[in-house]
Amino acid sequence: MDTTWRDAMVSWLTAPLAYEFMQRGLLVAMLVGIVCAVVGCYVVLRGMAFLGDALSHAILPGLAVGYLASAGNSTSLFWWALGAAVLSSVSISALSRGGRIKQDTAIGIVFAGMFALGIALISTIRSYAVDLSHFLFGNILGVTTEDVYLTAVVSLVVLLIIFAFYKEFTLLSFDPQLATTLRLPDRPLEILLSVLTAVAIVVSLQAVGVALVVAMLVTPAATASLLTKNLRRMMLLAAAIAAGSAVVGLYASYYFNVASGAAIVLACTAVFIAVWMGQQVRSSLRGRN
Amino acid sequence: MLNSLFPAGGKKHIHPESGQALQLRNLTVRFNGLTVLEDLSLRVERGLRVAVVGPNGAGKSTLFNVLAGLLQPSSGEVRVHGHLPAQYLCLAYVPQSSLMDWDFPVSVRDVVMMGRVGLIGLLRWPGRSDQRQVERSLERVQLSDLANRQISQISGGQRQRMLIARALAQEADLLLLDEPLAGLDIPSQEQILSILADLKQQGITVLVATHDLELAGDHFDRILLLNRKLIAYGTRSEVLTVENLGLAYGGHMQVVDTKQGPIWIGDIGGHHGHDVEGRHG
Repeated sequence: MDTTWRDAMVSWLTAPLAYEFMQRGLLVAMLVGIVCAVVGCYVVLRGMAFLGDALSHAILPGLAVGYLASAGNSTSLFWWALGAAVLSSVSISALSRGGRIKQDTAIGIVFAGMFALGIALISTIRSYAVDLSHFLFGNILGVTTEDVYLTAVVSLVVLLIIFAFYKEFTLLSFDPQLATTLRLPDRPLEILLSVLTAVAIVVSLQAVGVALVVAMLVTPAATASLLTKNLRRMMLLAAAIAAGSAVVGLYASYYFNVASGAAIVLACTAVFIAVWMGQQVRSSLRGRN
Repeated sequence: MLNSLFPAGGKKHIHPESGQALQLRNLTVRFNGLTVLEDLSLRVERGLRVAVVGPNGAGKSTLFNVLAGLLQPSSGEVRVHGHLPAQYLCLAYVPQSSLMDWDFPVSVRDVVMMGRVGLIGLLRWPGRSDQRQVERSLERVQLSDLANRQISQISGGQRQRMLIARALAQEADLLLLDEPLAGLDIPSQEQILSILADLKQQGITVLVATHDLELAGDHFDRILLLNRKLIAYGTRSEVLTVENLGLAYGGHMQVVDTKQGPIWIGDIGGHHGHDVEGRHG
């Protein structure tokens, strides 16, 4: 009886893996989960969740133009989307640099303007609207082998850059004034970090879509920040939470027929709520003693 | 290749051996038509401890920002050991600790190591000599046993000492400390003052912004009295005169004649508005 129970469990776990699209989906979801979680640690620590959300919406016109130009080739969509994200982040920093417009105002202006441009473009190419809706809500099960390679290479590059500039990014996030007095190239580093955020967002589009990608940036990192006060450990924990949530979300989507992007984000959110509640209970217990 | 793109990274600066730590000539700073510092001219010898005093809004923080190269003066000349501020590496600016994010997930040792990021250079990780320098800096401010603590788990005085250790790890020979003693208890203040005395032995120039005139007189080699303009710079007896203090503090300062000599009583500002007194003999 014990063995039949175990057999059932094993087949429950392996059944989805019989499909290649599930294998590819799992791989991509875990990769982008890890990349977003690591970049997201800086996003959370710098209090830039709004910028992340804005960048994810601001790439819509890039996707629309990319679609028109290449009829949906995912590599070219990637570059168009990335171009739109970089353009948006550079315009946000240019608008807010003089101090006459506050940064969150600049973000709001650029984000809504770019998103509107994207919707306008999409509405003119109605026949493609169905495919583009995949980018709003993700289409992890439509991942091709080529997408897997692209995601793997891009993820690796982002993680390597973070590793290479770890001490500078950390210093810049903790004490930007020190970065200036140490005569670090603070402005290029600042731009590099926001480009990395943009790349993480763009590479996640297929997994969770424009509308939900900010959750991949913010939720695992925020969960990890509740659990540790060590940045390296926070990054590892966030990556583990995101990768785990990707697996759980995809299985949920397979067995319960839930939209995959939403399922992944809900798994992240569930972990966050559990950790947060656990800490509330713990601190109230400590308060009573 | 990146290092040639970003020339500051990893470059060791040659510390000058002697001479003036600071030279200001007709330094003026304006914000939106408002003059914050006006026509400051000053020379500070290397290795002195200088207290920068003046009422709130006198321009102390602005002066530090200019010296640190964070702010461009509207006119006039600034030289730090003969260099333009933005080119000088061996200068450490310790801002008011209330402005920092103490929940950031780094340890005391991590923060001290940050002082070496410029010297380590881009695309390199801290080596053994960097670690040795960090441990030595922690030792000098007596924080070795707290090195692994997260920075929210140490006291205000320990935070201030950690920031001084960071400046030492940076191998700075000019330290700018903005209100390092504010809000600290007496033992913590004395600990920091004794560290400053120790720095003097090594020829490190220290500028400290403070509200506390008595402390400035007792523990520093020079006093720089500032109120938008330079009121006076010199030793205690040269600077702390009734005329100078009247000029600096204006209506906020009262001079009361007693049998022991005049006592100045004033609301020197700060968050507590505490009274400060001193003697003129």
